[in-house]
Amino acid sequence: MRKQLIWKAVTSLLAAPLKPLVLVALVARLILPAVSHAHVPEEPGHHQGHGAPPGRESGELVGLDERLGEKIPLDLVFRDETGRAQRLGDLITGPTIILPVYYGCTNVCNFLQGDLARVLPAIKRTPGKDYRVLSVSIDETETPRLAAGYQKMYLASMNAPFPPAAWRFLTGDAASIKGLTGAAGYRFQRRGRDFMHPVASFVVAGDGKIVRYLYGTSFLAKDVTLALVEAGQGRTGATIRKVVGYCFSFDPAQKSYQFNLLRVSATVVILCCGSFFAFLVLTGARSKRKSSGEK
Amino acid sequence: MSSAENRTAASGGFWQDTGRRGIASWILSTDHKRIGLLYLYSVLGFFMVGVILGLLLRLELMAPGRTIVDAQTYNALFTVHGVVMIFLFIIPGIPASFGNMVMPIQIGARDVSFPRLNLFSWWLYAIGALIVLTSLFTGGGAPDTGWTFYVPFSARTGTNVSLAVFGVFVLGFSSILTGINFVTTIHRLRAEGMGWGRLPLFVWSLYATAWVQILATPIIAITLVMVIAERTLGIGLFDPGRGGDPIMFQHLFWIYSHPAVYIMVLPAMGVVSEIIPVFSRKPIFGYKMIAVSSVAIAAAGSLVWGHHMYTSGMSDTAVMVFSFLTFIVAIPSAIKVFNWVSTLYKGSISLEAPMLFALSFILLFSIGGLSGLILGAAATDIHVHDTHFVVGHFHYVMFGGAGFAFFAAAHYWLPKFYGRRYREKPAIVGWALMFVGFNILYFTMQVLGMQGMPRRYYDYLPEFANLNLVATVGSWILALGLIVMVVNLWRGLLRGEPFTGNPWGGATLEWSIPTPPPTENFEEEPVVTHAPYDFKGTGIP
Repeated sequence: MRKQLIWKAVTSLLAAPLKPLVLVALVARLILPAVSHAHVPEEPGHHQGHGAPPGRESGELVGLDERLGEKIPLDLVFRDETGRAQRLGDLITGPTIILPVYYGCTNVCNFLQGDLARVLPAIKRTPGKDYRVLSVSIDETETPRLAAGYQKMYLASMNAPFPPAAWRFLTGDAASIKGLTGAAGYRFQRRGRDFMHPVASFVVAGDGKIVRYLYGTSFLAKDVTLALVEAGQGRTGATIRKVVGYCFSFDPAQKSYQFNLLRVSATVVILCCGSFFAFLVLTGARSKRKSSGEK
Repeated sequence: MSSAENRTAASGGFWQDTGRRGIASWILSTDHKRIGLLYLYSVLGFFMVGVILGLLLRLELMAPGRTIVDAQTYNALFTVHGVVMIFLFIIPGIPASFGNMVMPIQIGARDVSFPRLNLFSWWLYAIGALIVLTSLFTGGGAPDTGWTFYVPFSARTGTNVSLAVFGVFVLGFSSILTGINFVTTIHRLRAEGMGWGRLPLFVWSLYATAWVQILATPIIAITLVMVIAERTLGIGLFDPGRGGDPIMFQHLFWIYSHPAVYIMVLPAMGVVSEIIPVFSRKPIFGYKMIAVSSVAIAAAGSLVWGHHMYTSGMSDTAVMVFSFLTFIVAIPSAIKVFNWVSTLYKGSISLEAPMLFALSFILLFSIGGLSGLILGAAATDIHVHDTHFVVGHFHYVMFGGAGFAFFAAAHYWLPKFYGRRYREKPAIVGWALMFVGFNILYFTMQVLGMQGMPRRYYDYLPEFANLNLVATVGSWILALGLIVMVVNLWRGLLRGEPFTGNPWGGATLEWSIPTPPPTENFEEEPVVTHAPYDFKGTGIP
């Protein structure tokens, strides 16, 4: 788990030159004791397969049911970074990317938002005018002050100046949070100080209609742009990655049964082919008796 | 088939079957030429299906948003287009059809080593194809995974992946059996005087291909069984939650599927190596190097599968090793291209239909191969990975390469087997339309990919609309060319002018026997006294 997180951090840092502030924040998060499987995203509800990710025992409380085409309630009230109450309807005036996260998250929420910060400058649309981003905390105990700190950090990490009004970091009470996440089919569960939750964001149109879900912690600029174009036109888009990546502990030494299976079959194939070739070469030239009766 | 039989029956040869009558004289025949034609009709049928699916895909992508089908249907369309074109058309395309028809004659044999096994291979092909077709209309509907069947999606999707995968599994056995048959035939049934240094280059390419079929196909078979086990029993082979490894699927899949590219393109190179010297009236330049490079491509090509997985999370060391090996494969491919061009140099070139197709192979394959280096270099691959650049690239190699060589072979050898020939002018018009349409379609795709248009997406950004429209128009021109070509071939081979003797002036053995070839090819076992491209030795001017 720890190795994976470090690897992920390294690759994301290689992929985009994040500012030192984010570096420090990420490294600090990694040094803290990582909570294994704190985040267990699942595949969309209608694909409940047998490849259950670890932590599924928490029942059906954690997961994601796509609600494409449905509307989120725009009259919900959240607090912005300054602590002022804001109606969602006042913030969502056009295509908007909504990231359900919590700011005290020890791993994937940082990657999710960090990666979005990496791709936003590459999107050839004007932030604030053509689209907005809303990070919404799913932890009702988090404060606007904390949110303001994260806004400052992510905006600072971008390669290009980004208007603060175009990426808001919201906090809210439990009812508002439930109202928003429930409408988006996003199911999460508190576990101690942490949450188990799907790693997914979604894009809504100006009237609150959900037009596309974006899974995983890595964004492609063209995926995000396509979602924003659809949101601008009020069209819903098909989900591109249907299966969510999830956190897992992986030890190559433990996949021995698969290695054995492969070794055995590879040995059999190579031995058979080798002896076939040896047979052809050793038994020599031609045993060319044609049985004409075969025709 | 029966009308073809009647039309050409007068000229005799293998068309006059001495045993069974009607359809049974075909589907139960062990004559390599009849089996080759069975394959030809089958693969051409599936090619047409694949073309129609491809045209529908291009129609859908003509404009952003929904054009003719919904997103799920689009996913099924590109999956089925890939599965049909790859497993039902292009893998068996040249080796099983023209290989079967021509190879035994070229080595001076009366048939392949195992004629019954040969027929069984076709039956397996037919059964596998039937299973794949059934999977489209039963269960949860046509597979929507892409032809690559990547896990975890293929293990979880509700569409009919299990049956489709089982069909491909059966097709794999057909391919292995053909490979075993060809290797044995080439080792055992060469005529007297037909040493390894006198094998026609088409036979050399089939020999290298056959080994790839034998070695690599079992791996895809095992992998596909694993996918079925994962879906039906939930074993967790590719599920990290149970100690499995999702990347392992990609390794296993590409250990077969990259060499499969060479199963498709090596015989195509063999066809081109036959046609270029004949239509240049010059012995091939660098016979040994072309022969050895076929084997080298087969060997090195089996070690480069990882270049499909640069973005999958392999170690950086693995990425660098695979990138290096990929560049190695370019060397034997380039050797072939240089040798073909050197053969043309100062040759007496006659631009007839087979030659035009062969020459366009060289150009299109070179574009495909060079764009392959952009993908083989890890740094540039990250930029264009999973974009239309990749789609353009592999269509240049598969269609511009193997496809055009298939048509070259059709124009070169089919008159020999039917005893009648097509009209030259429409053949050239068809070729020209195809060549122009092809480049408009796939070069535009490469440009689109460079600009960031992803592959397999149902919808795209408005800025890609113009080039997508251009590509779709290209697909119509290409389709028009295909229609002209197929109609001309069909009419010509059934009712065209008689084709006798050796009008192309080939020096390989198939041109020394009557047209159409007799059932057992040679009245007496031939004794080979000259090299395959020694036109003077055979008295050809």
